[in-house]
Amino acid sequence: MLTLLASQNRDGGWPYRPGGPSWTEPTAYALLALLACGAAAEPLEWALRWLRAAQRPDGGWPPQPAVAESTWVTAVATLLGPAALGEPPYRRAIAWLMAQSGRETGWLSRLRLFLLGNPPSAEHRLAGWPWYPGTSAWVTPTALTMLALRKTLRWENVPPVHARLEMGSSFLLAHACSDGGWNYGAERVLSYDADSYPETTGVALLALHGSASRQIPKACKLARAYLPVCQTSEAESWLRLGLLAHQQLPPDIAPPMRPQRTVLHAALALLARAAQQGRNIFLE
Amino acid sequence: MPPWRCWRARRSRAATFSWSNVQLNRREFLTGSAVSLIAAGCARRPQAHRETLVSVLRLKDYGQELYGEVRRVLAAHRLNVRGKRVLLKPNLIEFDPHRPINTHPMLVHAALEAFRALGAEVSIGEGPGHRRNTLDLADAAGYFQTIPHVEEIFTDLNVDNVARVRLAQPHSRLGSLYLAQSALACDLLVSMPKMKTHHWVGATLSMKNLFGTVPGGVYGWPKNVLHWAGIPQCIADLYHNLSRHFAIVDGIVGMEGNGPIQGKAKPAGVVVAGRDLAAVDATCCQIMSIDPLRIEYLKLAVGDVGELCRSTRQIGEPINNVRTAFDLLPEWAGIRLKGQV
Repeated sequence: MLTLLASQNRDGGWPYRPGGPSWTEPTAYALLALLACGAAAEPLEWALRWLRAAQRPDGGWPPQPAVAESTWVTAVATLLGPAALGEPPYRRAIAWLMAQSGRETGWLSRLRLFLLGNPPSAEHRLAGWPWYPGTSAWVTPTALTMLALRKTLRWENVPPVHARLEMGSSFLLAHACSDGGWNYGAERVLSYDADSYPETTGVALLALHGSASRQIPKACKLARAYLPVCQTSEAESWLRLGLLAHQQLPPDIAPPMRPQRTVLHAALALLARAAQQGRNIFLE
Repeated sequence: MPPWRCWRARRSRAATFSWSNVQLNRREFLTGSAVSLIAAGCARRPQAHRETLVSVLRLKDYGQELYGEVRRVLAAHRLNVRGKRVLLKPNLIEFDPHRPINTHPMLVHAALEAFRALGAEVSIGEGPGHRRNTLDLADAAGYFQTIPHVEEIFTDLNVDNVARVRLAQPHSRLGSLYLAQSALACDLLVSMPKMKTHHWVGATLSMKNLFGTVPGGVYGWPKNVLHWAGIPQCIADLYHNLSRHFAIVDGIVGMEGNGPIQGKAKPAGVVVAGRDLAAVDATCCQIMSIDPLRIEYLKLAVGDVGELCRSTRQIGEPINNVRTAFDLLPEWAGIRLKGQV
């Protein structure tokens, strides 16, 4: 936690690597990690001021202030909840997230398919979330947005959110690779099976918390196999969080060993450790 | 749909113009059409190619010999980089240690030493398209073992400072694009790809390698905005908008078949280098027994690819001495080179 606090920028935000400019994603993850670990209020309030100021009029957040577009990082910021962000900014953020979906599920894409004589497949009906507006839906932004929206339901029961969450789950399950895990979201390229990744398998499992799908045991088995051999701290943290969400983390698992090269790594490692100690802030 | 016009075939996504974000009234439509006609008349014309120098080196493996050879190549191309900022841009994609996916660290180190010997201030930068942990990728690819203090000179271009660049006469639908500041601010961007086949564009070489300058921190992983705007078109746009460049292609062990990730090792035993990325890529294609005239992004970027090939002066090994047919996916059988360009 001290490492994280030491890398906070003077403007209140966090960079990806110490010394760099503040970005929304590491700032939001650092805040989540410090909240989960019960850090002192002052750096938190400082960071929240940076984050609130970075919110765009459309309700979303840009990846960094130099970018004039709201993107997937909105989901990470929204995970902080209404208590941290304030109720009006939080509501605007939820509205922005609910308005996003993969471009392939838009009416124009479906009409185009129809005109070409190809009936829309399940692929074109399952609306996930894109990284960047106007592009396709992918696994990580869909998983993060599902986590953010699920938190919303604990605060306020909104039926359209339920429907999007159902669809998000279906999207993730439809995009599992043949080995049971997930990569960025292309389980096949041309006619060839693509390999899954440890980090996306972990975050997808976390987002599918509570799912009764028959795909989950196979995904958990793969995640457990990935855990000792994955090569990044980020992957290790998401795998721990994903397995914990399904009560599948082996009790005798060794402590994290991979180098934490970025603020994101440090924050996720803290979040995984807090979850192992009983406080999973993603699922609160 | 041709494979290069979509990212995931199952999604059938368009790479051509789409009306989805466009709402025009009749006046705007007519005005726009008139402007487009005038612009089409004034804009890109087939380029007349000056003689371009491309070096082809025969190198059997990643041994010490590389260091001297790369120095000799830079000398042959008379690069004046004293006091200049040079960014080496290798191709880092995946952790898989069993496949030749990433640019070999020995070649990057040889280039680093050679540019330093010429008095340049050299750094290394990459922004992978699928995996977020760029430094971990560099570590797994052997960069930390091979290049002393690499962490101090390495920039993750995915989360570098960014600047919005207005694209000059874009081939894609993108009017502007955020790009990594390190790639924009350097005096020479050295594209150092692996010589590979590619399931969406046929061959991935020094021009396609420029995708790594587009920040994933803004556009995500993958950088899907480029796929919707057309992969060949975006490659051509980056080639024209990042114009202070040089290429050193790692073809000592390349990849054939289902590249750029799932293909097989192809020991081609070459390094190809030059100031013009298009000329270098067209030369690489001929070495791979791929017809450069059938590579869409080359056609978009230079117009007359045949003229580009004819105006390329080769030094080192003649192409015929090093030509080795890279296996192609059945979908790409049509780009196989038949005879000479």
